[in-house]
Amino acid sequence: MDRFFILRNHGNSYFVGHALIRVWALLLCSGLGALAQSTAPPVNASAPFSIRATHLLGLENTKSNCNGALSIQGEALQFQQGGTPGTEVKITSIQAAFLGGESKQVGGLPMKLGKAAAPYGGGRVVSLLAHKKYDTLTLEYVDSNGGLHGAIFQLSKGQGELVANFLKARGVSPSSGEYQATKQSTVEVMHENN
Amino acid sequence: MKTIRRSSSIIYVAAIVAIMVAFPAWLPAQTAAVKSSDASSGSAVQWSVQVDRVNPGDLEVAHSFQVAIYENLLKELNKTKQFKQVFRDGDRNASDVPNLLVLQTTVEKYTPGNETRRAVTTVSGATKLTVRSQILTREGKIVLERTVNGDVRFFGSNLRATHNLARNIAKAIKQPRWDVV
Repeated sequence: MDRFFILRNHGNSYFVGHALIRVWALLLCSGLGALAQSTAPPVNASAPFSIRATHLLGLENTKSNCNGALSIQGEALQFQQGGTPGTEVKITSIQAAFLGGESKQVGGLPMKLGKAAAPYGGGRVVSLLAHKKYDTLTLEYVDSNGGLHGAIFQLSKGQGELVANFLKARGVSPSSGEYQATKQSTVEVMHENN
Repeated sequence: MKTIRRSSSIIYVAAIVAIMVAFPAWLPAQTAAVKSSDASSGSAVQWSVQVDRVNPGDLEVAHSFQVAIYENLLKELNKTKQFKQVFRDGDRNASDVPNLLVLQTTVEKYTPGNETRRAVTTVSGATKLTVRSQILTREGKIVLERTVNGDVRFFGSNLRATHNLARNIAKAIKQPRWDVV
């Protein structure tokens, strides 16, 4: 009897174990499927890619805060300002790429002057509404001498992800650490204030 | 008597003019001599500097800020003309330079701001950065150490704080001479 029970118990756990493995495999497969669905559509690595961007700082022989076209052609990332020959960075020399987000006031200096001139604090209300969110792309790359360079681009909201996908397709792994960083820093600030 | 006095004064003035014409380079020559003696004593040694990438320390500083501080530092140090050459982190050419100092920057405090909050409230939303800047010899001996602040309180984007910080660092480490033994 004892033996029977033991055998039966053993068999039960055996079946339960199998069932658990099956359920786990099913969940894993469905999870993988969901992951596959959530990832961005595959990017054709060889296709040329170009978007409007603002060069904030860092690129050699390029003015800061200037608008232009950021493109990926062949094995180089290029920033071209108007009709001038663009500045190129070899994709193989890019060591790291980081995506971030920033909220900025729109309108530039004329808007600033207008807001300052508005009576009864009307400028503050305008400021509250006149802001826009941007993506930032930060690149770290090395020159032919091994010197470290950094470049920051400002892109329209959502386009950072697009560039990241293209860079990923060419072997650079961008990380979106800045969103996380900003959140953590805000927590630190709150602690400081307390 | 009057004529003699007049003629003697004329001779006196002529003598002065003659001396000035004959030895025009006396004063500059004296200055140059002082300069050359300074140079021979070793104080006019031209140092080069290598700027290391920014160390965020224990803080989570946005990568764009780290890169912006680094790039602005290079720009500001080049502007001051205090150093013969300014090298980037990892530059192989720096290893051949005889008089090289290394600038290390560690972030000690970072308060991320918000441009919209600044524009609306004026008093809050400032982006603040505090860093410790160290000038070291190649062997790692600290020659100079300064704590420098940079912030943007009213106008401008958050990254402007890095520009202000880099300018303050360049000012803070400005030295008439480097006492490196």
